[in-house]
Amino acid sequence: MDRSSFKYDILKEVFNISVGKAADLLSEITGKKILLKIPDVTILDRTTNNIELTEYLPIKFTGALMVSTISFKENLTGKANLIFPAEKMKAFIHLCLNEDVHEEDDLNFTDIDFDVIKEIGNIILNCILGETGNLLNIKLQYSLPEVKIYNHINFRKDIDEKEYQHILVLYITFIIDSTEIEGTIIVDLALQSLNEIMRKIDLIEADIYD
Amino acid sequence: MTKVLIVDDSVFSQKIAANLIKKYMGDVELSFANDGEEGIELYEKLKPDFVITDLLMPKLSGQELIRRIKAHDKFAEIIVVSADVQKNIREEVEAYNILSFLNKPLQDEKAQLICNLMREKIHG
Repeated sequence: MDRSSFKYDILKEVFNISVGKAADLLSEITGKKILLKIPDVTILDRTTNNIELTEYLPIKFTGALMVSTISFKENLTGKANLIFPAEKMKAFIHLCLNEDVHEEDDLNFTDIDFDVIKEIGNIILNCILGETGNLLNIKLQYSLPEVKIYNHINFRKDIDEKEYQHILVLYITFIIDSTEIEGTIIVDLALQSLNEIMRKIDLIEADIYD
Repeated sequence: MTKVLIVDDSVFSQKIAANLIKKYMGDVELSFANDGEEGIELYEKLKPDFVITDLLMPKLSGQELIRRIKAHDKFAEIIVVSADVQKNIREEVEAYNILSFLNKPLQDEKAQLICNLMREKIHG
């Protein structure tokens, strides 16, 4: 394995551990066993490519999208978006509230639904970002979480923030009680932030060879 | 009756905390604040025996709420229930001499732990 692939492998493993912890928390919330498919990570570079973020969403994401967002600063600067297809979210909310799941649920979300998704999104994103920060020894300071529903056009306009040079796209799939929920986390990062992550990964790599 | 103030900007988390605290504490008087600012107002007005607070909240953060309460009453009993899993944040908050720091989600085991800690404090 060459050096660059090895660094990518370390980064993927760091996210793998963080997503595993997030799945554990989801299991605590729903009281159900969570099966996790191995997450995949892609790093996109806006400085050299013209990137359309919607092209990196899973093909199944054709309808409305529910997006939980949290910004962070201090040692890293950026914004993390947890994206799920809105049609899966009603079932997910019922699971979180320990209610029966109805197949015929519509896409009208109440204030309570938004509050639940905001809080669960906050817990998942805090876990993934915070555990990544713990593993890489990087401190983060978060903004308040937000939740919005987007169609693909609004998503392209609102989420696709050209001000950040790098994007980490993390694909995750949770299977909760036979309900498969496929999600994507898009982390926008300032140039120096990706450099800082890579510097920390270099330190981990150096430790391995010590 | 034991008075507990729950400070969290999520109504969902307030309800979970309320149900679990009632379940394991029994006779308890619960009050709720939706952010740190409301939390400090209710703390001064109600003088609760315990405060259970989140950290990331609008208007006034949990850290600032704890700092202000402790400046006013250094023996105030505060329990933090937060989604923030960062070790350095935990260390910063624990430096305020809080009763406990737990990560969300709150579930039976963690709620029992909180209630046992509160009982120990009440009964000396």
